[in-house]
This record gives sequence, structure tokens and C-alpha cells, in this order.
Amino acid sequence: MRYLIRRLGFFVLTLWAALTINFLIPRLMPGSPATAILARFHGRLTPTALHAIEASLGINTNQGIASQYVQYIGNTVTLNFGDSVQSFQPVAKIVAQAIPWTLALVGITTIVAFILGTGIGAIAAWKRGGKLDSILPPVFVVGTGLPYFWVGMILIILFAEINPWLPVALGIDPGIDVAFNWPAISNMLQHAILPAGALLITSIGTWVLTMRNTMVTTLAEDYIRMARAKGLPNRRIMVDYAARNSILPNLTGFAMSLGFVVSGAVLVEDVFNYPGVGFMLVQAVQNEDFPLMQCLFLLITVAVLVAVLLADIATALLDPRTRTAR
Amino acid sequence: MRRFRKLALAAAGGLMAAVLAACGSGTTSAAGPSGTLTISNESGGLWQCSFNPFNSSANFLSVGNVYEPLVFVNALQNDQTTPWLATKWDWSNGNKTLTFTIRSGVKWNDGQAMGAADVAFTYNLLKKNAALDLNSVWSVLDSVAQQGTDQVVFNFKAPAVPYFFYIADQIAIVPQHVWSTIADPVHYTDAKPVATGAYEVNPCTPQNITFTANKNYWQPGLPKVAKVLYPAFTSNDPANNYLATGQAQWGSQFIPNIDAFYAKKSPDHHYWFPPIAQVSLFPNEKVAPLNDPVVRKALALAIDRNKASSVGEYGYEPAGNQMGIVTPTFQSWVDPAAQSAAASFNYNPTKASSMLEAAGYHKGSDGIYVSPAGKRLSFHVINQGGYSDWVATMQVVIQGAKAAGIEIIPDNLSANDYNDKLFNGNFDLAYYAETGGPAPYYELRQWLYSANTAPIGQQASTNFERYSDPQTDSLLDQYGATADPAAQKQIIAKLEQVMLTQVPVIPVTESVDWYQYDTSHFTGWPTPQNQYALPAAFQIPDMGQVLLHLSPK
Repeated sequence: MRYLIRRLGFFVLTLWAALTINFLIPRLMPGSPATAILARFHGRLTPTALHAIEASLGINTNQGIASQYVQYIGNTVTLNFGDSVQSFQPVAKIVAQAIPWTLALVGITTIVAFILGTGIGAIAAWKRGGKLDSILPPVFVVGTGLPYFWVGMILIILFAEINPWLPVALGIDPGIDVAFNWPAISNMLQHAILPAGALLITSIGTWVLTMRNTMVTTLAEDYIRMARAKGLPNRRIMVDYAARNSILPNLTGFAMSLGFVVSGAVLVEDVFNYPGVGFMLVQAVQNEDFPLMQCLFLLITVAVLVAVLLADIATALLDPRTRTAR
Repeated sequence: MRRFRKLALAAAGGLMAAVLAACGSGTTSAAGPSGTLTISNESGGLWQCSFNPFNSSANFLSVGNVYEPLVFVNALQNDQTTPWLATKWDWSNGNKTLTFTIRSGVKWNDGQAMGAADVAFTYNLLKKNAALDLNSVWSVLDSVAQQGTDQVVFNFKAPAVPYFFYIADQIAIVPQHVWSTIADPVHYTDAKPVATGAYEVNPCTPQNITFTANKNYWQPGLPKVAKVLYPAFTSNDPANNYLATGQAQWGSQFIPNIDAFYAKKSPDHHYWFPPIAQVSLFPNEKVAPLNDPVVRKALALAIDRNKASSVGEYGYEPAGNQMGIVTPTFQSWVDPAAQSAAASFNYNPTKASSMLEAAGYHKGSDGIYVSPAGKRLSFHVINQGGYSDWVATMQVVIQGAKAAGIEIIPDNLSANDYNDKLFNGNFDLAYYAETGGPAPYYELRQWLYSANTAPIGQQASTNFERYSDPQTDSLLDQYGATADPAAQKQIIAKLEQVMLTQVPVIPVTESVDWYQYDTSHFTGWPTPQNQYALPAAFQIPDMGQVLLHLSPK
């Protein structure tokens, strides 16, 4: 219990630090949202119009940085993120439109990669030196070494251009409305195959390798030998003794990557023109869209922190030693 | 749209299979619109579904096709005008009063009639909310009021003939009965616009906007294309793939190796890049020794413009000229005397060196000239790091300058950093392009008018090089006061001389309107033979004109 309270306290402290950095960083960037607008409409605006735009965006209002900070914390706690300076729509609404795509594509792919990778790693370690062990891990490690955008481009050339089987871009064909009917869902699935494939190819190797290596060490432990001596079935030794103890590093990594799912995969979205929050973040930074930026950064931070907290709890459940330590 | 360019994969592959969906071959049996057109314009982000015609990040989606201005001014054909929501207009009172007669029989797409009251309301809305006035028309306007039943009178503080372009062509008319009820028009999203245009938004998602034909459009028989799809492309590659595979028919961005990647894929694939403005080197007038015209002239002589065009811009953007006139677009404005003087600015680093030596500059041991005051001719140039073509062009500039004994050090910056330094005047040299307009005057005024500039450290709206010359200002003012084309040409000829003798700005290449079009399913595209509008899909309100001219095959 003390362990959990300590973790919670750490969580709150980190959250506050992240919120503060989130407030400061955009304000340290060169330029301002008005500069970005001026850049779009250069040659026509007079300085008077520029001041009017600045006022309408609520910037350069002579408000002290301290009072801005207090207001920001208040707005954040009440989940009031304000309006985007690009479209003047509520930021929450814009993010809500993009996040399902990211969660579906990156989220599901991450879970699949973790399950597949950990499973393959465990089996490879159990039968180390075997055929499976000598082929799969090296192949996946090579996949991890490949740059994501390169794999994506190769997949596009092979399966969308030379063989036009799959769509080259977007999450759904422009003429089709997003809906819960088969034509729409199958279209969305078709659009997801290539980006998900590229993500799997480049991410699965990490899970395989970490799991295999930890498991190999674990298998040399005395309690494994003891279990064998007791005559326990192989399956039980592999799953309950070896894998349970080896999965801890992977689990932490998994929690972290689940947290990062929310940030989207900027490269996925760029190469496949897939809708999601990753590219939205880039766009927000380019246009100095502070409200949108802050909302996205906050979302990412909170998601990672919550995921880490959950991983801590899971670790505590799986490994009694972490509960009693110190 | 944006010139955010990356190395695209120039993937060859004969595809164009029958699988390609959504091309909507038009079955033009009955009357009425048909066919589906897809636009491929790299916009750099997902759609936010705002169609507010006064929001600078959204209006390229709604001005021309959904909302309409009073008059269409064709930048490619010397200001040629086509009536739109106005039928007639006249300057009077020494070019200080402009009277529009508003078209009758036009209806908003909610069924209400459009009239002079809406027009007067729109301009006064901009007066009340300066943040909506994206063209700063109220810097010259005094009052706008309805007169009689169908006229609107614009009174100007001083003669401002060139502002006709901004007032009549660039500002969309909005319905009074809708916008008068909006408490905060600046922050208004306008997701479902009530407008007069040929198209309606139906529906918009972050990934795609569907524009459908307005069945009660006031021009009978138009539009002929039933549906326009506008997918959101966040980068060039997928947008280019859509064009190459025929999934999109109207493109508006840079395609590397365009002949192999696009044009050769089908005899129906065409492209055309009309030049509209100039990409130039802006020497900061407040930085010594760049404030010496001799140094600027030497710099202009040291730039191999043809090489900059062929090496930096793949030959897509033609070489610029020291007159400051975009050719061939504005060839008729070129003064013969200026033309021959401009030829004396052809690449010649030896001449640049001797010009510097004649002015008392001497070469240091490192081969770089030193001014009489002891300053080395070594300058930093700020550039958009994201524009790979601009970065490549700058390498050509740097080589040429080095041959003439001038050192240029490139600072390739992020867009935010670049804009900040540019607007505040914190640079030696800047590589930059203005928006220009339907005649050379607009770009020259953006470059040279001293009222547009600001002291170093304060944001200027244009004239970032901080040039200030009373004579030039008065020439620009005179131009604004006359509607006589002959007088305007004489003034432009004098401004060409300013460019040639003072060298306040050094044009390097000409920026173009990116445009690709597919004739397999649609006809009526703007072509070099029929330049009825600026052809890029991001040009407002020209894209509305293009849509009105297109018809399914």
C-alpha cells in the first residue's frame, strides 16, 4: 500500500512539472500565432490589422506571465482548453475527431506487436538454438533497424503502386462517409493494412529481443532447475515460472508505448497521409496554435504518466519483491 | 499548396488500372450537373471544417466556390475583369468614389435574396472587426453605404484605384441576415455556410470536404460538375500519388521529376506553371555596407539567375530579372529602356568585382572585399529551411557571390524562426517571395512602399528590407490615383528604373502557380492558350472560376 501511495505522489509531482513545462515551452518559441497569420497573408495586412488579429487571438494582451499561468492551470484542471487559433473551433472537439483514428491504428498495432513479440521471444528462448530461435529474432531485429518511413514507402510502392491492391493514402476513401456499416468499415480496414504492417515490421523486433534475452537469463536460475527437478510440466515452467518473471521489463516498455500511442505516429501519418493526432501536433506547432498544442501535449503527458502508473501497479502484482522493497 | 518539399519517391510503375475509384466518368445524358472531381492540393494538415471567408487559414476553401466576391479580376490577363455579384462599377470624384451596381435575382442558398444591403453590410462588418479585414481595405476606405435599391458606394480617403482588386475580387460577400446575428464574427467557424456560390459544403470531415452543386445557383446551367471532393493531404507524396494514379484530377503542388512521375503516365495528364511573383534576395537597408547601392548592384551582378532556375528550381520556376517585373505574365508592362538596362545585370562576377573596386572596396587576403570603412563583405542570409528548392537555389547564389568576392553564409531556419527574423528586420539578407497581385504594381508596392515598413525590431507588414525613398513613395501614390492604363505604365517604367539604379530588392527566380490537370474526365481547364484564371486550387477566388468552367466529358 505504501508503495502505491509513493507511486501516486510521484505521479502528481510529475504531472505538475509536465504542466508547467507545457505552459513555458510554447512561449519560448520564436514568433507568435499572429506572426504565423501574417506569414500566410503577407503583403496585404497593415500593422493595424495585425494588432487587431493579435487582440482577437488573446495574445499580447499585457497580461502578466504569472496570471497567465494561474489561468492556464485553472483551465487545464477544468478541461477547458479554449479554441484553436486556426479555425476557432474548440480544441477538445478537434482532438476528439482525430484521436479515434490514432487509437485504432497505433493502439491495436502496439498491442498486437507486444503480444506477438513477447510470445515469439518466449518461445525462441525456451527452444534456444532451435530453428525458430535462429531465424525469427534476427529477422525481426533487422526490421527494427529499418527506418519506418522507408518501410512505409517500400510497402506503398509494392502494394499500392506496382500492384494497386491497397490505397496509397488517407484513412478512408474521400467519397465514403465514416459510418458503422460494412462498406465503410472494410474501406477503413483496407486503408489500415499498410500503415499497420509497416508499424509491425519496425516495432515487433524490440519485444522479441527483450523477451528472449531476459528469458534466457531467467531460464538459468536455480528455481527453474528446481521446478524441472520437481517434475513440473514444461508448459507450466515456461509460462508460470520463466515467462512471468521475464515479462517485467517488457511490461514497463509496453505501458510506456501505450502511453505514447496517444501522441500518434507522426511518420505513419505523414507517409500514409493517415488522419490522427500526430500530424495535428506538427501542424499546431507550425501555426503556433498554443491552445491546440497545449491540449495535445497534456494528453500525451497524462497518457504516458497513467500508463507508467498502471505498469507500476501491474509490476507490483506480478512481482511481490517490488511491494516490500525498502 | 505549401512548398514544404521532401525528396519524393519517384516511383515508376504503370498502374492506372481500372481499379481506380471515384473518378466518376460523367454520364452527361440529361441536363444538370454530373461527375465527381477530386482535388489534390497538399494543405499540410487535416481539415478543421471552418469556412469563415475572413479566416486566413480557412478562406482558400470557401472564397470563389461557396462565397462569391463582386468582380473577378484575372491576374494572368492584365487585370481583366468579369462581373460576378456586381454587374457594373464606376470610379468618380477624382477616383475617390467607387460605385457598384449589385446583380439582382441572386439568392443565398437558404432561399433569401442577396442585395446591396448585404454588400454594404459585409464591408462595414470588416470595419467593425479589423481582424476580419485581411486586405486592410479600411486603411484607404472612408465609408461604404447602400445607395438606392441596387447600388453600393465606396468612398476613399484618397484615390486608391489599385485597391479595386482587394475590394472587388478578394472579399467575399456574406449574408446580413446570418452574420448580423453572430456575436463574434472573428471566432465564427461557419461550418455550414449560407452563401451565393455554385457549391455547398455537404459534408465536411477532417479527412475530406465534399462540395455539392448548388441546385439553385443564379447562373443557369452552372455548375456542370456535380460533386467536388477535397481530401486533406498532409504531405506532398500521397497528394502526388493521387494525381499520378488518376484518383485526383486537379493538382496544385510541386512534383519532383514531373514528366516521368506524372505527365508520361497518361496523355491526359498536363501541367502548367504560370509565374505570378518573384523570389528575391532582400538586402537589409539598415545593415552597412548593404546600404551602399554599389554593394547591392555587385550582388545582383553576381547571381547566375539562369543557373538558379535550372539547378535550384528544376527549371519549373523561370529566372527573375532586375526590373522587378514578372515575365512573361506582365510582359506588356516592361519598358524597352528598362529591358536593355536589365540585360546589363546578367551574371558577370568580374564586372561585379571591378564595380566594387571602382567604389573604393579592396580585396582582403581571403578573397573577400572589404569596404572603405573596413567592413568585410560577409553576410548571413535567412532562408526557409523547409523549402528544399530555395535552399538549393541559395547554393547557386552563394557560389556566384563568392566568385565576385562577397561571402554569403546561409541560415536555413524553421518557418517560425524565419518569419520572426524577417518581419522584425533581424537579418543581413533574406530570401523571400511576396504574394504580388494582378499587375506589377502590387508586388513593387509590397517591396518598396515605406508606409509598409517598420523600424528594426518591430514587425513590418511588407518591405522587410526597410527601403525608404520619398520619390518612390510618391510614384506609388501617383499610380494609386490614376485609372488610366497609359499613365500607370509610365509610372511602372519609372519604378523599373528605381529597381535598376537603386537595387533595393534582387529578384532571383519567379515563383509560379503549381498546377496539374487531368483531361480524361473533365474539360474546360485553364491552359496556356486559355488563361481565364489563376489555375492553382488554392487561389481565391480563381478556383471558383475554374470550377464554373469545368464540365464532365
